[in-house]
Amino acid sequence: MTSAINLVGFWTLVKREIIRSIKIINQVIWPPIITTLLYVLVFGYGLGSKIPTIQGVSYAQFLIPGLIMLQVIDSSYGECSSSIFQARFMNSIQELLIAPMSAYEIVFGYVVGSLARALLIAGLITGLGMVLVKTLPQHWGLYFLVLCLVSILFSSLGIIFGLIAEKFDHLAALTTFVITPLTFVGGVFTSATMLPPLLRNLGLFNPIFYTIDAFRRSYTGESYLAPGFSVGIIAVLAALALGGALAMTASGYKLRT
Amino acid sequence: MGPNGAGKTTTINAMVGLAKITSGSIRIFGNDNQTQWREARRLIGVAPQEYNFDRYLSIRDILIFQAGYYGLRGPAVSRRADDLLERFGLASKARVDYMKLSGGMKRRLTLARAMMHEPRLLILDEPTAGVDVELRLELWDWLRRLNAEGLTIFLTTHYLEEAEELCRTIAIVRAGKIVTQKPTSELIADGATLQNVFLELTRA
Repeated sequence: MTSAINLVGFWTLVKREIIRSIKIINQVIWPPIITTLLYVLVFGYGLGSKIPTIQGVSYAQFLIPGLIMLQVIDSSYGECSSSIFQARFMNSIQELLIAPMSAYEIVFGYVVGSLARALLIAGLITGLGMVLVKTLPQHWGLYFLVLCLVSILFSSLGIIFGLIAEKFDHLAALTTFVITPLTFVGGVFTSATMLPPLLRNLGLFNPIFYTIDAFRRSYTGESYLAPGFSVGIIAVLAALALGGALAMTASGYKLRT
Repeated sequence: MGPNGAGKTTTINAMVGLAKITSGSIRIFGNDNQTQWREARRLIGVAPQEYNFDRYLSIRDILIFQAGYYGLRGPAVSRRADDLLERFGLASKARVDYMKLSGGMKRRLTLARAMMHEPRLLILDEPTAGVDVELRLELWDWLRRLNAEGLTIFLTTHYLEEAEELCRTIAIVRAGKIVTQKPTSELIADGATLQNVFLELTRA
């Protein structure tokens, strides 16, 4: 009699994803750290010295949580989308598909592997923020909650687009035309209170606005919207994306003939 | 056996869960591969025609991770991986990337990986397609040894001599249907050659 859940298979996939990240560390771990360092030096120290405090902190300190979200979103989406697409392209995904692993074990394996990478990147940038601009989260519970939900949301989207894509260009298209623009206008560099009312209201249609607003509250203790509301929106979106990824994997979309 | 497009690889894909079954059912040692898929898959080891190794893992890790996907872990798995590497002549390459292996070594690695979780049924999709004579004979030798140890082997091939040399039972498929399935000795009885039987059944 065999067990109903293949936990060993799930953890093996998580470990495989972590090994993959380590093997391509120069592509996936150092670039976000160096980019963040440059943002802090150029925008935080340079331009930031001309800007008065925002949400009670210096501009450089204000930037850190936004930059963490920027990299967590990018890393979570990139990890799952490229890993799945590459495995499809190389046919190595068949190793998982012929093994006694369910769609749940496969999808959660990818998502948790991606979450591990996101937490590492977030941790390194948090350390950078502490050293460079002397800022740390005040509310660690909210910090981890938002990090995890955002990583789950974008990892799941990564799985969905990793399954849909026919070439690497398709993966990059979502990043270039949707995720990056929405992230930049979602409050990484600005507070909603700094924007004119029209743009501020338009921002409410940008899901990334909620992620940055809630996450920044874990640092500054202030946010434009009630954190419970933003966390609720992110949780619903994460559940929908995760459900989509599970449904597509279970149906064998572009995986089984 | 069967001509190109007859359904050999599709049959394998249906058995291992890579193709959706639209009608009928497949049982692997009594386990329905749709309703008892975990049990069925644990009994099967697959060596595909194309190399599909994980490019981020070393040779030894390819075997250990394969066992992990089948729910196995611990010191016994490491020992099994080392045994298989030794047995298939890959021990000296345990830490290297699979892309650095020769064609023959890659073929042996597909067999070792398929054997990692100790399946009862080994499925091989055209295991000697595109390999030189020397390697083909080496692979035949491996397959005979595995079969002698009690492993059931199901293979597809285009090579008549391979089927004749290795198989006790041969099925010939045409357009997705089995047109004959007999013990090899019966199929080529009374002076008939496998080539004649094959052409007669697949050209009709």
